[in-house]
Amino acid sequence: MMGVIASEAISIVRCPEIATAFKKGLAMTIPQIKCNRVVAVQILYIQENAMAKKKSQRTIVGSPLTPTLLDELGALSNFPPSSEDFKPDGNWVNTYRIWTCHGYRESGNDNVGFLRIKRLINSQSSLTLKVHQEVLQADALVNIIEATIECRNNQLASPIQWKISSRFRSADGRYISELSSNDNGAAAEGLDRSAGDWCLFEAVQRLKISKETVLAFDMLEGLSLLKKDQRLSYRGLYPTKIGGENIPLHCFVQLGSGILPCEYWLDDHHRLLAVASMNKAYILDEQAEKITRQILEKERKSYEKRKSSQRK
Amino acid sequence: MNKNTTEEQSSCLVNRRDFIKLSGSAVALLANGNLKRNVFAAWQSRRPKPKNILLIFTDQQHIDTISAGGCQYVRTPALDQLKTSGVSFTKSYSANPVCSPARSCVFTGRTSSETAVYVNGRPIRSDIPNLGQWFSQQTDYETFYAGKWHLPRSYTSDIPGFKVINTGIGGFGYLCDTVMSRACEGFLRNRSKSKPFLLVASFMQPHDICEWLRLNMDNPQEIRYPQLVEKFPELPDNFEFDENEPGVIKKRRLGNEPFKGKWNKEQWQYYRWSYYRNIEHLDAEIGRILQALEDCGHAKDTLIVLTSDHGEGLAHHQMVRKNTLYDESAKVPLLFSWPGHISENRTDSFHLVSGLDIMPTLCDYAGIKTPKNMRGRSLRSILESVVFSWGRTIITEVSSNTGRMLRTQRYKYITYKDNLVEQLFDMRDNPGETNNLATSSKYASYLPEYRRMLEDWESRLDVPPNVPNADVWRRKG
Repeated sequence: MMGVIASEAISIVRCPEIATAFKKGLAMTIPQIKCNRVVAVQILYIQENAMAKKKSQRTIVGSPLTPTLLDELGALSNFPPSSEDFKPDGNWVNTYRIWTCHGYRESGNDNVGFLRIKRLINSQSSLTLKVHQEVLQADALVNIIEATIECRNNQLASPIQWKISSRFRSADGRYISELSSNDNGAAAEGLDRSAGDWCLFEAVQRLKISKETVLAFDMLEGLSLLKKDQRLSYRGLYPTKIGGENIPLHCFVQLGSGILPCEYWLDDHHRLLAVASMNKAYILDEQAEKITRQILEKERKSYEKRKSSQRK
Repeated sequence: MNKNTTEEQSSCLVNRRDFIKLSGSAVALLANGNLKRNVFAAWQSRRPKPKNILLIFTDQQHIDTISAGGCQYVRTPALDQLKTSGVSFTKSYSANPVCSPARSCVFTGRTSSETAVYVNGRPIRSDIPNLGQWFSQQTDYETFYAGKWHLPRSYTSDIPGFKVINTGIGGFGYLCDTVMSRACEGFLRNRSKSKPFLLVASFMQPHDICEWLRLNMDNPQEIRYPQLVEKFPELPDNFEFDENEPGVIKKRRLGNEPFKGKWNKEQWQYYRWSYYRNIEHLDAEIGRILQALEDCGHAKDTLIVLTSDHGEGLAHHQMVRKNTLYDESAKVPLLFSWPGHISENRTDSFHLVSGLDIMPTLCDYAGIKTPKNMRGRSLRSILESVVFSWGRTIITEVSSNTGRMLRTQRYKYITYKDNLVEQLFDMRDNPGETNNLATSSKYASYLPEYRRMLEDWESRLDVPPNVPNADVWRRKG
């Protein structure tokens, strides 16, 4: 026991963080590697002091996520160039990087996946959305959601019928069949005041930019969870600074039960550039899939290394 | 008469009696020493055992956040379903209202000073088995874990005793709870009905309120969505706080976002409104799992337990988050449901229960002995209406092993290391804990008694030497 504690003590003192703690006077005494109890307690105090010091140096963000703040926090440097040809009611593909914020400026803010939505015109009365979302999990696990949604061509792109699958892929690239699920669904007759969260990414681009735009509806989140009494309304045009440029952006906000306020940010071409709700943001980014793959690869290597050292 | 014959006769005696009547009388006889322990054990082993066990673990859930429990600010159909189908406790306390320490207590049945998880991010002491390890050894339940672990890593694919079916991502409930509940749904839909399981579904929500605080600290004079103001919940009755508090609590309050950001009344209300939306998000994700359980025909065979690691300040005493011993932080929801076995739609407002009771209760339902040195006790007799009253005290630890709460039926006593200010509240007449009786001469005689009870409790614990302040508590008394 004594040997273990002593060796721990030495390894911790060699740790740069602890050494810095000593230098800064956070730890006032060098552990006496004589009595295992005293040493152990001192080491713990040192560790905790160092951790507390590190934590106390972080800066709180303080304000809700907006495109300007996302730029300040390094979550985006610019949006893909706008295209005069973009038609919200045409065929298009938008890919969003999913970014989460821990509430501090310096740490804990990460890209965690991507969402791709493809819009296809079916007819005058309906359209199809093809959804592909990948969310990274710890230890290089990935959740993959794929959905095909036939929607009404109404203001909310109300879902008519859909197919959705959820699959998990582990660090070694294999799908974990025991965790997969599939569902087919259809909206009941007359449900034209309903929306889906992914459908709103499409619908909001077709809405009239006006203070008069206020929509009330129930939402089927992830095509599975009903969130009642939602309202989507236009907030206004806001000056936004991205990559050093001033770009005014339009903002719609969704409020309702079971969700935190969700803001949709659009440019003058009605292109949805970002969606921010509390601690997560979807950021239009053509490189989103590539970035996700790179992070996954890095995480996979780190996981393999961890596993390998555990085996040793 | 030889021993075997005695046991046979005893077991016949047991069989002839009505289960409920026997349960009540058996407990009474055992208490009087008139029923042999082996007879009681035989009776106990014949009690029905749930085919599956589902432990739903939430993070930072205030006890009063269930619509069916009277909370008027939320819509919680899934939590309502759980509450009305079983027994819920209103005097349920976390064994340490901080994430990792509380989890270590629930998953081992030992205090956080014993598990050596007295702060966040420490592993459980290796010689104490966790629920997964114990059930893997002692039962035929296959043990699975999904979601937040935090002992020490928040998310990991490597949890001793469990097969990890989903890992989650760090710190963000809105995204990772959805992925976790989808994994649990897949697990339940694909699982063969013949194989018993113990599944822990550990959610991050409503912990996202911590990020909310950091993302909404500034500019309290500008409510971002004025249309919401009319929907904001009222401030709690005990919004104001007692000036004569222990210094550690005052310091914590001043370090929190509302004081740093100089919040006004509306910002406090907006924070409460946002917390309740996180609860609704959590509820929907729980609903997904309950629906899958129902669809797959597991619902009637599954014992469901729901609890949280700690509560949430929620503006009571102008506090946010956890890590205090006021009820809002220290109390947690505790719900049990098993159709046909556990009383339905019963709210137990009498018994004092603790996170330490979960491990012994689950062992009891699984028909196995507990690991040694459990600090809690099985709640089965209460859940099945066999025993109607219990006398006990609850001890809760907090703040890196520097604080203790001792709760009796009537009073709550709080003390911190190196702090002269003690707190004593009459929980019947002052449930909001605004009137500290510790300084009143009328209650002077209570304090030595509570100190002695605390000392007695501490003397029985097996605290490893590397836990800070272990000696302080043994001596304090």
